[in-house]
Amino acid sequence: MTRFTAACFVALVAAWLLSGERFLDAVFEMVDLGPVDDTIIAGVVVAEDWKASLGLPDLFSAMRTAIHQGLGLL
Amino acid sequence: MVFPTLQFIGFFAVVLALNLIVWNRNGWRKALLIAASYVFYAAWDVRFLALMAFVSATAYLAGIGVTKPGLRKLSKVLAIVAMLGVLGVFKYYDFFMLNLQRLLEGTAFARDLQWLTLILPVGISFYTFQAISYVMDVDRGHIPARKNPADVFLYISLFPQLVAGPIVRAAHFLPQIDAPTRPDTTARAAAVVLILSGLFKKMVVANYLSVLLVDPVFGLPDGQYWLSALAATLGYAIQIYCDFSGYSDIAIGVALLLGYQFHINFDQPYRADSLRDFWQRWHISLSTWIRDYLYIPLGGNRGTPLHSHFTLILTMTLAGLWHGAGWNFILWGFFHGAFLAIERVFRRLRIRLPKLLAIAAVFVIVGLLWIPFRAASFPETLQMFAAFTKSEGYAAPEIIPFVWVLLALGFAMNWLPLALRDRAEMLIARLAPELQAAILAIGVWIMFATAQDGVAPFIYFQF
Repeated sequence: MTRFTAACFVALVAAWLLSGERFLDAVFEMVDLGPVDDTIIAGVVVAEDWKASLGLPDLFSAMRTAIHQGLGLL
Repeated sequence: MVFPTLQFIGFFAVVLALNLIVWNRNGWRKALLIAASYVFYAAWDVRFLALMAFVSATAYLAGIGVTKPGLRKLSKVLAIVAMLGVLGVFKYYDFFMLNLQRLLEGTAFARDLQWLTLILPVGISFYTFQAISYVMDVDRGHIPARKNPADVFLYISLFPQLVAGPIVRAAHFLPQIDAPTRPDTTARAAAVVLILSGLFKKMVVANYLSVLLVDPVFGLPDGQYWLSALAATLGYAIQIYCDFSGYSDIAIGVALLLGYQFHINFDQPYRADSLRDFWQRWHISLSTWIRDYLYIPLGGNRGTPLHSHFTLILTMTLAGLWHGAGWNFILWGFFHGAFLAIERVFRRLRIRLPKLLAIAAVFVIVGLLWIPFRAASFPETLQMFAAFTKSEGYAAPEIIPFVWVLLALGFAMNWLPLALRDRAEMLIARLAPELQAAILAIGVWIMFATAQDGVAPFIYFQF
């Protein structure tokens, strides 16, 4: 289970890196955890900035467009 | 918080990792999962955490009370009154006041009654039913009362089943709290298949059918004609199946990864060859709950056939009311009860249809009864039924080829042999944990890419 969970985390990070999705948006939708919130938000902002500096392609949006075009939804 | 969101994925990844870290410390595990469940619920509305805690505390105290000889009856009555009271105030008060006001109009007692206009707390019907089942099971001696309040709080609040079931039974779940099963490769494979199939049913089939077909037709029932009414009715039958069974699949899969097993909640319901069979396949956890805590205590099959028919219709009508405070739901439940009673008479007379014809007949009855369930009001229900008799109306632009594909996919999810799912699970079970996680991640990625924009809530959240 440890290997499975670790692999899930790696996959989650990879998915985030290769998509335009921003964890920051999800964090702002979360319940207010008080002082912990500021730390979490600060951490996520640093991570989002780092992701932006890498300049990786948004494969998720490309895939989404391709699928929606294929289904005749665009 | 809703399952098919980035927010939930992040939340669950953290809980999964922490759960693993505290795996060997049962007290910590319980505390972690209760805290996670309350955060999960608070993401919807933090104000109603106190209500859930109140119901949990009532169940815990009543569980202890019913084991004391002098307090047994009082504890049971007080607990059930308190829990049904919570449900009554938040879910049914305004409905009853509205109808009472209408009833009194034109009489000497006519007056403006007070409304509460409360928000309906998400999942209230589910967690109050679980709390009632805990008290009843302790009272009946099926399970011992829990001394540790954390056990009862966790049973009632565990987040995978919290807002839309399955309604987990205390006798099945509580022993798992003491000895949770560490997910092995078979459990992980089952979880991967369940989560992916659940996401597919919800994010692809149910959501697109809703937007492209069902909502446009049910939104304007007056101008529809027979083809659009038929397509939308068929579409809603598939949508509600994929929506609700999809939620159940994800809930069961998520719980499996945390080390808990829930019973299945849907068993290919549109394969049913009788209405009794349908209710043994559809929302199984609710069907068995109302059988054990409502139908049997009301008399069940004891007494004369007429009495048992009456009990059946009453039970199903109350089950309809459980779904929502509205005449449409009452009507839906009543007709299900009436058809079940008629079916019993047929069975007693040994009148049977050929199997395929019986399956088709059950599907038609269930499908038509979904109309009052889906329609916004009683007049709109009548308009939808009237549309079946019209040969002209809107040109049904919503029936595009993709809609037919969705209907076919929805039927396939119901009809595909279970052996196929078992085979997929077996194949995934043979893989290394990293590959299992990769399949889950890639599958989730594809589902999110295929889905439409925005988050569509699950239909059963409103109950």
